[in-house]
Amino acid sequence: MANTTTTGNTSVASAHVAAKGKSEFVRKRQAAAVKAWLMVVFWRLAIIGAVLGIWEALVRGGAINAFLLGSPSAIAKMAVSMISSGQLMEDAYATVRATVTGFGIGSAIGSLAGLLLWFSRTVSRIIDPFVVALNGVPKIALAPMIIIWFGSGIFSKIVLAAVSTFIVALLSAYQATHQIDDSQVNLMKSFGASKMQIFSKIIVPSSLPWIISAFRINIGLALVSVVGGEFISSDKGLGHMIFVEGNLFNLPAVWVGVFTLMIVAAVLYAGVSMLESRLLPWSEGKSSKSPSV
Amino acid sequence: MLTTSAISVSNVTKSFVNAEGQEIAVLNDITMDIQEREFVSIVGPSGCGKSTIFNIIAGLLQPTSGSITVGGADIKQSTGHVGYMMQRDLLLPWRSILDNVMLGLEVKGIGKKERRDIAMSYLERYHLEAFAGAYPSTLSGGMRQRVALIRTLVTQPDIILLDEPFSALDYQTRLVLEDEILSILRDEGKTGVLITHDIEEAISVSDRIFVMSKRPTYVKKTYDIGLSAHYGSAMKARSDVRFKGFFEDIWSELDIQMGRVG
Ligand SMILES: Nc1ncnc2c1ncn2[C@@H]1O[C@H](COP(=O)(O)OP(=O)(O)OP(=O)(O)O)[C@@H](O)[C@H]1O
Ligand SMILES: [Mg+2]
Repeated sequence: MANTTTTGNTSVASAHVAAKGKSEFVRKRQAAAVKAWLMVVFWRLAIIGAVLGIWEALVRGGAINAFLLGSPSAIAKMAVSMISSGQLMEDAYATVRATVTGFGIGSAIGSLAGLLLWFSRTVSRIIDPFVVALNGVPKIALAPMIIIWFGSGIFSKIVLAAVSTFIVALLSAYQATHQIDDSQVNLMKSFGASKMQIFSKIIVPSSLPWIISAFRINIGLALVSVVGGEFISSDKGLGHMIFVEGNLFNLPAVWVGVFTLMIVAAVLYAGVSMLESRLLPWSEGKSSKSPSV
Repeated sequence: MLTTSAISVSNVTKSFVNAEGQEIAVLNDITMDIQEREFVSIVGPSGCGKSTIFNIIAGLLQPTSGSITVGGADIKQSTGHVGYMMQRDLLLPWRSILDNVMLGLEVKGIGKKERRDIAMSYLERYHLEAFAGAYPSTLSGGMRQRVALIRTLVTQPDIILLDEPFSALDYQTRLVLEDEILSILRDEGKTGVLITHDIEEAISVSDRIFVMSKRPTYVKKTYDIGLSAHYGSAMKARSDVRFKGFFEDIWSELDIQMGRVG
């Protein structure tokens, strides 16, 4: 390439080439990575196609009961009608909104609280058993109470998701502050740093990977809580839809709900992964990972 | 002539309590007086407690007994009075090289533009400006060590503690940086203390050398060297006729120490 002229300073020249990233070598490697990824996607689609095909064939051949299991064609038909009536979008939107809002509130407050515990060893020692006990409770057990207090609308689902995610976020952030390299703190002290400076420049950034990995757990927890809450009492949402249609033995509609939940879960998870690479630009290897959904 | 002492360590002892609850004596009555503008080295067997001495001088550890004054002031419970380049480079992985270099300036409240300019000028001086935006994980061990050195120098401390600053560097770079450090200390009238395993390095840069015993350590012997001050260069100091004699003296002092059982 034209930009490999000798400038005298080799380190500058090589950094320049690396920044452009357009060498033959890099392009070949990128092409190979794309090819490998397409292969993976192909096989994933092939597996889905095969399962659906066998399922449909078994129903048509009478080997399994369409009433108890549904069939891909009936599910597809149901999906089209639910999408065109707008009902599916409305339910999915209600669920996603409650999940994301509850997740955001619970994760943010929990992470912040867990980080702040770094300032006081005494306070953390006092509340430690309570946090552990709360963490042990399956949060869905709190759903009846929360619905009584906050009603059967979206608000109670948000609270449920926030409560479930709060504890996990708090625990991971708190544990992260205990993984700190003491030498890094000493380095800050050697500059004469205040406790607040140590907190903002060492404790927070080095806890971030743990906090973010809790987000991955939390987005799933939030979805489970919201759907569980919708089962118990609500006027819309995917959980509500699945529950109602299940009681009516409308299996194709239940399947549409389940498949939509899968897609919602995958999209939310991908969103959190994107957030991760945005917030942790220094951690290597993340960007080269195949886009997994 | 009246000289003021930059660092004065008097009868300092330090014990740690190990995991089994036993008390391990590391420092056994250390007394050192380091004058302003002096450059001294500390050599001693591995694990004898050299870094512990630095941690105490920097105020990161409290001595079990004894007292330390830095610039005439008692440093009990205070930090930030020396520039300390630790044994590990401790570059923060989430910060770019430039941001790592600016860390101390940030702590000291220097404005954004000013600290950026200072940091960039140092990076340029050490030919690392092309890596200003890179993350530490992409640098070699030697480059990381140079960045850690720069991070210590940019805050312009009067007293600089260097704990094996050149251990990851190749021989040539090491020689160049020894001279570089020497001229910075001399031109800006700073005081330097260097821990090193390299006896030749100690002889070529120091005014004085403290040879430490094995753990629990004390100052076994002090050598007046002054070759670098005489020649104005560590590299030239290496060719002095006395160099070999100093080396053999210090080597045997350390050798006996390491060979002794018990
Ligand atoms: N925080 C601590 N708790 C317990 N023991 C410690 C602690 N810090 C240091 N020690 C012990 O004190 C001794 C001296 O450690 P130090 O790091 O000062 O040695 P050193 O002379 O710098 O060694 P090296 O040449 O390998 O760098 C070692 O035996 C070490 O295990
Ligand atoms: Mg050491």
